[in-house]
Amino acid sequence: MTGHRGAALLRGVSAVGLALGLPVVLFALWWLASADSTNIFLPPLRRIVEAFGQVWLSDVFVRDVLPSLRRLAIGYAAALVVGVGVGYVIGRWSLIRALTSPILAFFRVLPAPVMIPVLLVAVGIGDATKLIVIALGAVWPILLNTADGVRGVDDVQLETAAAYRLPSWTRHGLILRAATPQVFAGARQALGISLIVMVVSEMLMSTDGLGFTVIRFQRTFAIPQMWSGVLLLGVLGFGLAKIFELIERRALRWHQGATGREESW
Amino acid sequence: MTAEPDEALLRIVDLGKSYRSRERTVDALAGIDLTVRDGEFVTVVGPSGCGKTTLLKIVAGLLPASTGEVILAGRRVTEPPADLGVVFQEYGRSLFAWKTVRQNVELPLRHGRTGRTERRELVAEALDAVGLAQAADAYPWQLSGGMQQRVAIARAIAYRPKLLLMDEPFSAVDAQTRGDLEDLLATLWRRYAMTVLFVTHDIDEAVYLGQRVVVLGAAPTGVVAQFPIDLPAVRDQLDTRSSPRFGELRAQVYAQVRRTPEPTAPALREVNS
Repeated sequence: MTGHRGAALLRGVSAVGLALGLPVVLFALWWLASADSTNIFLPPLRRIVEAFGQVWLSDVFVRDVLPSLRRLAIGYAAALVVGVGVGYVIGRWSLIRALTSPILAFFRVLPAPVMIPVLLVAVGIGDATKLIVIALGAVWPILLNTADGVRGVDDVQLETAAAYRLPSWTRHGLILRAATPQVFAGARQALGISLIVMVVSEMLMSTDGLGFTVIRFQRTFAIPQMWSGVLLLGVLGFGLAKIFELIERRALRWHQGATGREESW
Repeated sequence: MTAEPDEALLRIVDLGKSYRSRERTVDALAGIDLTVRDGEFVTVVGPSGCGKTTLLKIVAGLLPASTGEVILAGRRVTEPPADLGVVFQEYGRSLFAWKTVRQNVELPLRHGRTGRTERRELVAEALDAVGLAQAADAYPWQLSGGMQQRVAIARAIAYRPKLLLMDEPFSAVDAQTRGDLEDLLATLWRRYAMTVLFVTHDIDEAVYLGQRVVVLGAAPTGVVAQFPIDLPAVRDQLDTRSSPRFGELRAQVYAQVRRTPEPTAPALREVNS
């Protein structure tokens, strides 16, 4: 028994080691290589880490990080609702698909930040513009993947549901559930895009938020502080991706089992 | 209305199905007449690509007929009728992978007249009847192919259908499992007094299970012959299959199917999909 537990522990340790090993090594290399740096644009990592503590573990977190996270959450949630809803309709009805696919092909390649100047004029400089841009950037992968997933639902499942006379709302639910692997694939892409668009929109038009703060530090030559903002964004993106992964793995356990792709990490 | 005795549960009258494309019209089914009595077990055989699946889908109300009509329990079928259970060949695709075995079986009952307690009992009994009481909380993908098909059968039984349609349900499992499932089905048929319309390409299976074997011809497919099967009501994989009478019946059906030419038009292959 102890042997088993010991082996499991060892596996756990080695998994964590594999995941963190390279980042730790790179961080250490950066630390050593930059230790004696006199280049004011590439300050020693030690100073960046100091600045990190001073800047972000203060009221700046409430003033600038929370508004950013709030925008990200609202914009992303709106993209989820619209993307899944419209994607479902497009995936389910071929006529609507035929009508919309040229427009979709156009808008999906349009970079969302290009809408910022347009929305600035049309909507104004307030939060609404940022939320719209974030949602606009994030909605396409969700929408297109949902449409694909819904369209690809197995005919045999649809026929089974029809033969047993399941009411239409139950059938819609089954179709959407069967499409969740693709919905999640789209949502994962969209999460990364939301983060990018959030930062860009705050850099261009904001008086608070992470993007705004990084730009402000840059303009005031607070270089270590600027770097610490970059570091924070990286950590934030990584954390969000990990949370997403956890949710996805729970929601799609059946899919991994059914397709024989039980992932070990 | 003909003077058919009212014990006819299912009447298929002059049924035809054609597929139209821009270039041509393909007649898949034409002039099919078939009556199934209440409580009867009818098996349907025919060469591959002859439209057996199309026939079942029309009976199930999943496909519209081009000509003729299907009447189930006195009512013309235009959409999936009540009291109809289905078991498809592709068990893995007809079960919902994110639902447990129990939830899969319960799903069709959740929207009927059955109350929660009764529903529980129906599900438990059906799972018990197919020998899956222990696997109620497993997911379909954790089960073998044969067990998954048992889940689909349990789902049909819990629904208490008057008519059970089966589309080559055992053709994707190994021979041993197949024999077990055939006997299970025969037992359930007697126990629940269902009417079964069972499509297969396997002549032995058709003779072994059916009270009557219906042979379909090549496209445009019609009924070319029907064989009453006068084997004992309760059959056995060893005794029945090795009996002289089984051999005779099997040879008769086989000769009839062989006389039917294979469909040649490549377009007909699409009919099944």
